Amino acid sequence: MSSEKKKMTRGELGLQIVIFSLGVFYALVYYIAAPGVVDLQAVSDQLLSYITVVLTAAFGIGVINLTRVHVLNIKRKRATWRYSIILLISLYAMAVFTMIASPFALDPNSVVIPASDIQASTPIYEFLYYKILANINASIFSLLAFFIASAAYRAFKARSIESTILLVAGLLVILGQAPVADLIWPGFSIIRDWILAFPNTAGQRGILIGAALAIVVFSVRRLIRYPW
Amino acid sequence: MLELIPGRISEAGLLIIVSAVIYQLAKFASAKKLKTRNIPGLDRIDGWLKEAADLKRPVFFTPGTGSMGAPDTLAALTLLEYVAQRCVEYNAPLLVANSDPQVQQVTEEIVKKAYAKAGKEKEFTPDMVRYISTRQFAYAAGVMGILRREKPAVNFFVGDFQAEALQIAETGRADAIYQFGGTTNPDQLPFFATTCDQTLIGEELYTATGHLSSDPEAISELIGPDAGKILAILLILAGAVLVTFGNSILLTILGL
Repeated sequence: MSSEKKKMTRGELGLQIVIFSLGVFYALVYYIAAPGVVDLQAVSDQLLSYITVVLTAAFGIGVINLTRVHVLNIKRKRATWRYSIILLISLYAMAVFTMIASPFALDPNSVVIPASDIQASTPIYEFLYYKILANINASIFSLLAFFIASAAYRAFKARSIESTILLVAGLLVILGQAPVADLIWPGFSIIRDWILAFPNTAGQRGILIGAALAIVVFSVRRLIRYPW
Repeated sequence: MLELIPGRISEAGLLIIVSAVIYQLAKFASAKKLKTRNIPGLDRIDGWLKEAADLKRPVFFTPGTGSMGAPDTLAALTLLEYVAQRCVEYNAPLLVANSDPQVQQVTEEIVKKAYAKAGKEKEFTPDMVRYISTRQFAYAAGVMGILRREKPAVNFFVGDFQAEALQIAETGRADAIYQFGGTTNPDQLPFFATTCDQTLIGEELYTATGHLSSDPEAISELIGPDAGKILAILLILAGAVLVTFGNSILLTILGL
């Protein structure tokens, strides 16, 4: 971070005024109402809906970036250029079939796109979405189990007092969670509940209170003067 | 006419009191450039980036899956600004991966600006800042792919993360020399703590800028939350003592 303080340009000043006004407005709407005059909450919701417009435009730019990066990969024949071809075909094929045949289709009443084309595209869209995308999504999510195992192995090494406490607490919670635990000793589930309800909750709340205070300071500073 | 919403009056009052105390303390501390504490690991960032430059291996940064409305993402972008400037200075190649298209635009602007500031506009290429996908696990797969293919020397996972946190941090662990994590999500923090060399826990994510900077305004971000925490501790202690002795005045005030 540079230590010198530079003057805001005209554009930055204008933007700062907009940031400040909107920030203060949203903060006030949470605490203040103006019954009989104006529904402040409705105004706030309306303003929020404009974000959708900006987001839609940003999506387009995101797709352009993705295309540009992978076209460059192919052009320069980088190590993984073949995967880039697959990615681009998947990206645009999915986009086209989603626009024609998904529940979010652009022309569901066949005003422009012939009904026969929509009918022909529907099974392809369903195959791409339910048979490929959903399965890949589930597979990637399932990988988490293996990653948890390797991370737990690393974390549960008694190298210091802290990691030993973590190891003991972790083992007690795992034992308390196991269905067989109560058959071995009923105390395991009591210990598990105590660890989760007291040290764990206290730690989490400490983190959240600290973060909330930091967010207040962070936000106020940006409302007053954004570090451009 | 304007009126305060019942049930939120005490919140408004508390916000005003906390803000006023934080402001006064931060003003005092930032004028004296007084830093209340050290955040371990932040001082090592420069060394790590230099090492990446020496090894000619990239530095990877991702601000997570949050949108521009997530405070964690905003804090991550502030850190990205610092990392980008240092990468340009040390000639370390930087790679940024995004999940949100709006965040993609902002990160691209930050990195581009860092190159322009150093007079190296021509060295910036569009594939330095990549948009992956808004879908959580498509993003995770994309980031894991980049980490395995590009083999960055330093990975920064700072921002708003969900279940993908462990997947990308564990994948990064395989090749990276150093990993730096940071989030306020308590569910994902343990994963970063076990896989990263340094983790910004909770509010440290927001105070990192204050620690790295010598700008008095930025230092206020370090001092402010600490002042607020002292107030919160006093309030918790007062509440515990009062309730123990059967006095519920604080509960009544806070319930207004």
